[in-house]
Amino acid sequence: MSTPAASSSTPPAAGKFLVIGLAGLAATALGLVVSGAQKVAYSYLVGFTFWAAIAIGMMMLILIHHVFDANWSVLIRRQFEHGLSAFKWLALLFLPLWLASVFYQSDLVWPWMNLDHVMHGSHTVGQDVLYTKKASFLNLNMFTGMTAAFFVIWMWLSARLRKASFSQDADGDLKWTSMNRKTAAFGIPLLALSLSFAAIYWIKSLEYHWFSTMYGVWFFANCVRGALSCGVLIMIWLIARGDYRGIVNKNHFYSIGLLVFAFTVFWAYVTFSQYFLIWNANVPEETFWYNLREIHADGTPSQWKYVGFFILFGHFLAPFLYLLSYKHKVTPAYIRPAAIWILGVILVDLCYNILPALKDAHGDPLPFLSINLLWVLTSVVGVGGICIWSYLKSFPTTKLFPIRDPRIGECLTYHE
Amino acid sequence: MATSSYGLIATFDTAPEIYQAAQKVRDAGYKNWDCITPFPVHGLDGAMGLGRSLVPRISLVGGIIGFCTGMSMIFWTGAVDYKLIVGGKPFFSPMFAFPVSYELTILFTAFATIGGMFFLNGLPMHYHPVLKYKDIKRGMDDTFFIVIESRDPRFNLANTKALLEQAGGKAITELEA
Repeated sequence: MSTPAASSSTPPAAGKFLVIGLAGLAATALGLVVSGAQKVAYSYLVGFTFWAAIAIGMMMLILIHHVFDANWSVLIRRQFEHGLSAFKWLALLFLPLWLASVFYQSDLVWPWMNLDHVMHGSHTVGQDVLYTKKASFLNLNMFTGMTAAFFVIWMWLSARLRKASFSQDADGDLKWTSMNRKTAAFGIPLLALSLSFAAIYWIKSLEYHWFSTMYGVWFFANCVRGALSCGVLIMIWLIARGDYRGIVNKNHFYSIGLLVFAFTVFWAYVTFSQYFLIWNANVPEETFWYNLREIHADGTPSQWKYVGFFILFGHFLAPFLYLLSYKHKVTPAYIRPAAIWILGVILVDLCYNILPALKDAHGDPLPFLSINLLWVLTSVVGVGGICIWSYLKSFPTTKLFPIRDPRIGECLTYHE
Repeated sequence: MATSSYGLIATFDTAPEIYQAAQKVRDAGYKNWDCITPFPVHGLDGAMGLGRSLVPRISLVGGIIGFCTGMSMIFWTGAVDYKLIVGGKPFFSPMFAFPVSYELTILFTAFATIGGMFFLNGLPMHYHPVLKYKDIKRGMDDTFFIVIESRDPRFNLANTKALLEQAGGKAITELEA
């Protein structure tokens, strides 16, 4: 390979992914005719939050990198910085959900947006004391303002991180490193709050009766797991392309593999804590959320029960046992399937959290296995195509890695 | 006099010298030998041909024992030995046994890791034959040593000495057992 550090080699084909993304979005739009607006909107919310979670996770990893003055992650940080370019497109891609809620049907996705929405039973949202007590938080103005604020915060932090890092490539000035460190210091609390509120507004409020203090942390765990898995796949892709061949060594894989492992445990800790506290307290105000995901109104087990078991074993136990092995963390051929698997199960986890809010006439959640899964997949392809296109468009605009970062030497010779 | 000798010790002045010498000793097929350096030399484990430590295996065993201990303790106390209904819950459920099992998994893993490390590295070791060597304290300051033990099946006083010389070792000395 020619000197990879000098500049980006041939730019990858970005346009292809734009076409794939638009095709996915078009296929999702086709679903409006087939399945109706509500089911497609929920499926789209799954696909949207999946990619939003990955972008948020990438930003969190960059901020953590800077605040700890880390050295091994300098290489992969640059790829995450390219990933951040997706936020403006994600903001645009959120618009359909908001527009549909404002102009088409106010309870299309979030039932509390319509005060006349009839709850299962008889009363409306407006008569529901559990809503009226939360009305100052759960209303359209707050939702709009907060969602706009999330994207403004994310795009602003992205712009600062990208500007400082890319400018340093040119002049090598250390002031950019200290700027990044400052961004990290106030960015971590900002991002932690915004991603928690995003999870609350976008996902948790689908069942606004329910409450869980772990919800933001659960979402955070998925964000970082998704971003780390993407990071692993990007590293392997860039080695295969030749850009990172001989530059990424097994110690880089070991470190990112350890983080994948650590966040697998962290996700399980958070998710188990949420379930366990609700199970142990056994209060109907909280248990109904899990009951919806386990049994039908008549007490027979529903498909969601098995989805829950799949998440328990597939999202925690299998990757946990697999990643215990040193060999599985450092060998690209072994860690790649783990990364793909985790990304797939994150999607199932988001389905588990979002889709059961879609109810049939008896108040039972619609089953997991349905045509809605197809719209989830088209949404994932649609939003994902746009995000990957944005990443690939940003990719050739800078050096392959931050060549003048003060830690780049330590990163390139990184040894565990 | 090979029976009463512990082995041969050779001196090196710099880290690159001992690194390259270690590769030569490794390639010559020796197993019972060691490097003494004043500071950790990155990559020396690879140059010496050392594999991964066995400590993680012992840790895993400790973790499994810890998890099983937690589960079976809660099961025994709650569902067998002294049945008591608490909060309308079943006598046994992995749900409430999990926090305890999880803590014991961590505790037993930690014990197994620390214990396994001491078991495998033989510490604390109050005496070692290289301590008799007159310049050994410089190994904590500015000098590097390679020690090849006479119990190594490939050990042969003349050949081993020649190997160390060829690898760049100085002041090659026979150590008392």
